[in-house]
Amino acid sequence: MRRSTAAAIGTLTGAALIVGVRLSVQPPAAPVVAQAPLDLADSDTSAKPSAPPSGSASKKPEAKKPAVDKEAVKSPFKDGVFKGKASNNPYGTIQVSIRVTDGKIAAASATFPLTGDSATINPPAIASLKQETLTAKTADDVNAVSGATYTSKSYKESLQAALDAAKA
Amino acid sequence: MRHVEHVMGTTVSIELADDRPDAELRSLIDETCAWLHEVDQRFSTYKPGSEVMRVRRRELAVDDASADLRWVLGACADLWRDTDGYFDAYAGGLLDPSGYVKGWSVEVASARLLERGSTSHYINAGGDIRMRGEHPDGGPWRVGIRHPWEADKVSWVLALHDGAIATSGTYERGDHVINPRTRTPARGLRSVTVVGADLALADAYATAALAMGESGLPWLAKRAADGYESAVVTDDGRAFTTTNLPAAV
Repeated sequence: MRRSTAAAIGTLTGAALIVGVRLSVQPPAAPVVAQAPLDLADSDTSAKPSAPPSGSASKKPEAKKPAVDKEAVKSPFKDGVFKGKASNNPYGTIQVSIRVTDGKIAAASATFPLTGDSATINPPAIASLKQETLTAKTADDVNAVSGATYTSKSYKESLQAALDAAKA
Repeated sequence: MRHVEHVMGTTVSIELADDRPDAELRSLIDETCAWLHEVDQRFSTYKPGSEVMRVRRRELAVDDASADLRWVLGACADLWRDTDGYFDAYAGGLLDPSGYVKGWSVEVASARLLERGSTSHYINAGGDIRMRGEHPDGGPWRVGIRHPWEADKVSWVLALHDGAIATSGTYERGDHVINPRTRTPARGLRSVTVVGADLALADAYATAALAMGESGLPWLAKRAADGYESAVVTDDGRAFTTTNLPAAV
């Protein structure tokens, strides 16, 4: 068991080193700290554990987890590798995986794009933008319309012009 | 009371929702329009005698320019830094602060209206809106964001009492939005809307993000920390919003 845990750590560390190296290839404009990759994926993971190991991804992760440390405690987690739902964003796909060994989270990692600017801008950015479906609604109930209406000609064809005409 | 004025090369819609005598509202609208025409005379790049053109021709040193123009040029310099060079008053090679002047002049106009006791109004200058207070039937102003492909539809409806909404898009001027770094037409984003306290900043942020292309998305995400929310549609029809965009219910 100890051997399989060590193997899992070895895998994660290898992956983390790759991430760390690639992040440092292009010096980012904003400081990019290697973040805990799982923070990127919200709660989309199909695997149960929601509290991933925190801390720098470039550090050796600690397999030790509080509360489920003793072998006597029955773990709710099944052994194996669990992948979260892949999440798409403009810069590619993010997918989180964890490895459970002896009922403990032995390793966690996230894949995300590692090319060009994406590698530097991805981690801090994704958390605050959400993708949604573009909708087309009628403008029945609006007081004004914002749009790229640069000229008086484009104004004439705009919804704002229709509103102004209706209320004049 | 509503009014439409053609000024600064665009069309400005004004609505005052204050419960006051018509004569007072009319006078407030007249003052607002007079200010916008004054700005046009002083800052237009189409009027050879404007202060901006005199600075451009080096007939007037920036240090000797009006306080307003010095303020505008200072703000443009700040924005150039804050947008990594994507908002550039010299994008075409010559001084052209129009991208800041429009939002700023409306911001000033709204502040002057407030000073004169108008607590509920909006001014929409070419799709960029500064609003305060409530609409005539009460409640926050409801502002539609034009759908980037269907001109008679809106993609979002936002609701707010006080603040600014600016939209920049490539659907109106096509290749006229230039990435100042590459001097090539902006690609990637079709429509960028920024919502925040100050119309001049919201407008400049929207323009800069549009010029950035898709890397404008993470850049806009960072503006949310300063209270500037955004709604974006990409060239291929994907839509993105920041978490606290004030969508109407």
